Amino acid sequence: MTGHTRWLPLLVLVVVSCTVVAFATPRFGSTYNMFVILQAAAVDALVGLAQLCVLAVGDLSLAVGGIGALVTVLAGNCFQVHHWPATATIVMALALGTACGFVNGLLIGRSGLSGFIITLATGSVFTGIAYGITNGLPYASVPSVLASVGQDRVSFLPYVLVLTLVISAGVATWLRWLPAGRELLAVGGNRDAATLAGLSRQRAVIIAHSASGFLAAVAALMYMGILQSATPATGSDWLITSFAVPIIGGTALTGGEAPAFGCFVAGLVLAAINNVLIVLNIDTNAVEMAEGLLIFAAVWLARFSGKRKPSSPGRRTSLPALAPSASSGRSSQEGTPVRAGVP
Amino acid sequence: MARKSTTLSEGVNAASLLVIILVSWAIFAVLGSGFLSSFNLYSVGQIASRDVVLGLAQLLFLAVGRLNLAVGSIGAICCSLLGYLLVDTKLGLPVALVLVALLGVGASLVMAVLELVTRLSSFIVTLAFLSIYGGAALLLTGNAQYQITSAALTKLGNGTLWASWCCPLAVLAVMSAAVIWSVYNRTSIGWKMLSVGASERAARASGVNVGRTLLFAYGASGLLCALAAVMQSAYQLNVNGGVGSDWLVPSFIAPVLGGALLNGGNAPVTGLLLAAVFYDSLQSGLTILNVPSYWLQLAEGLVLLAAVLLNNVRNNGTLKDRLMVRRRAPRLRAGAPA
Repeated sequence: MTGHTRWLPLLVLVVVSCTVVAFATPRFGSTYNMFVILQAAAVDALVGLAQLCVLAVGDLSLAVGGIGALVTVLAGNCFQVHHWPATATIVMALALGTACGFVNGLLIGRSGLSGFIITLATGSVFTGIAYGITNGLPYASVPSVLASVGQDRVSFLPYVLVLTLVISAGVATWLRWLPAGRELLAVGGNRDAATLAGLSRQRAVIIAHSASGFLAAVAALMYMGILQSATPATGSDWLITSFAVPIIGGTALTGGEAPAFGCFVAGLVLAAINNVLIVLNIDTNAVEMAEGLLIFAAVWLARFSGKRKPSSPGRRTSLPALAPSASSGRSSQEGTPVRAGVP
Repeated sequence: MARKSTTLSEGVNAASLLVIILVSWAIFAVLGSGFLSSFNLYSVGQIASRDVVLGLAQLLFLAVGRLNLAVGSIGAICCSLLGYLLVDTKLGLPVALVLVALLGVGASLVMAVLELVTRLSSFIVTLAFLSIYGGAALLLTGNAQYQITSAALTKLGNGTLWASWCCPLAVLAVMSAAVIWSVYNRTSIGWKMLSVGASERAARASGVNVGRTLLFAYGASGLLCALAAVMQSAYQLNVNGGVGSDWLVPSFIAPVLGGALLNGGNAPVTGLLLAAVFYDSLQSGLTILNVPSYWLQLAEGLVLLAAVLLNNVRNNGTLKDRLMVRRRAPRLRAGAPA
């Protein structure tokens, strides 16, 4: 089983258990509840895609939620306080998200530090600005086009899910067939080989983080439309989701492998589990625990079902982003226990 | 050789932090009123003490080349247990403290064992436990608020020692720092932790039992998380399962600003102590200058960002001492961006 179908057993499990729950509690199977699940899945999947772009290049970002908060707040501010037209607001929001990601990528690429610590700091900065501007209060009005996209549906199928599906397809195409996307995967898969082939890691990191910022902004706008208000609390719970979704979707944490449709399916899985726990009247705090356990389950599954790529025999599921990078002058294998022979 | 220059650069770092603290205090004292009042210094001391212990908990991870995202969640389960034992079961304080300490160590050891067994990166393991422990704390307490009435804890967190500006927690924090300093500088397990952080392969090759060393580091870190939880309970006196949700960034600020390398291998305890004092002085000073509290998180992020980038610039010098390590493990780095 390759990384692209690693989520299959999980999906089957979830579909089966959802069917059982649907028979046990009729409320779960109602059209409206399906709509709610799919709506949540659309946002989860986008948040996961934002992380996926960064994981593809072998880095990670803790700032997805921070970018979401900042984009939401500034979009709400421009629209409500400064009376910008809807189009200008949306364009500004997408540009802002991309710019935030670009700054992350630039700082990481230039300093040679791990994305972890840089994005921990910038994420806190972005969230801080969002709270500072609003004093923690939400903006009540959002562009009507966002609200209608966020809330409209055909039977149980929300528009936002279709949008997410299209974006997933776009990301998958980008990573699979377009030069910039392939460059990310090449650098993520084997940084040294990519460097020898003339690819710049710095460039790839900047592109990956910019794409991540853009997708985080899309997720923020979508969430704004669904919620019909712009709150700085957006993104406060995206940290775990952003990792859980790509990991469940079969993304290699070592970089170089990024199944975008896996994210889409994982978003559905996560949203369904979330909803089951709520419908069965289990404490909502159990949802948080479930996400943590799911991360383990998914990595475990990948361990036993996923065949190792022949190109990286000694690799274990570690994050090269956390290992010393080029400027620190130590090999990335060195910081981690060696499992099965060093290449 | 490398060791000596590291100590020297840590000394320089500590001295510059001291200067920064004095300058910032002078600025806040002139611009705002009451910064140097004993009341304000007392409250800075309260929070800085917790941040020192929290920073030490993170430092134990950083020094072995790991990351701990779950510090706050371990703090949450420890606070919840303390509240539950003191309020609901009416158990004596000593018994409760022992149980909380055991819980902290145990929770951290579970992560260590899972990391060693599954060979996953510490990032993923602690990320998963961030949500597992965090969810468990809220789930098991049912979002209950615990009002702590223990006289001893109240005295610890809100009483005074020697002078009206000195909080007993500060003594506790300095003592913990002293213990951790001695562990790193005077004991073999301390050296083993640093060697594992500097190069796990080299440490293993030199006969260090990496698994046991990691277990020690994780266990000690869990103990410090529990201590930080007790300290926060002692000055806040009203705890719930949500304590610790904002610990992540502060836990990195103190060690990183203090000069800890993110790749592991050093443990600047003095720098950490001063960094925590500086960071909390800054927060308190900004509050005194009437900066709205919602902007304080921005300051938090900016301080961490500045610390990381400064550290990077500074360590480009000291890392040259480690070129020996680089030669031992040559990698294809032709044209790699610096």
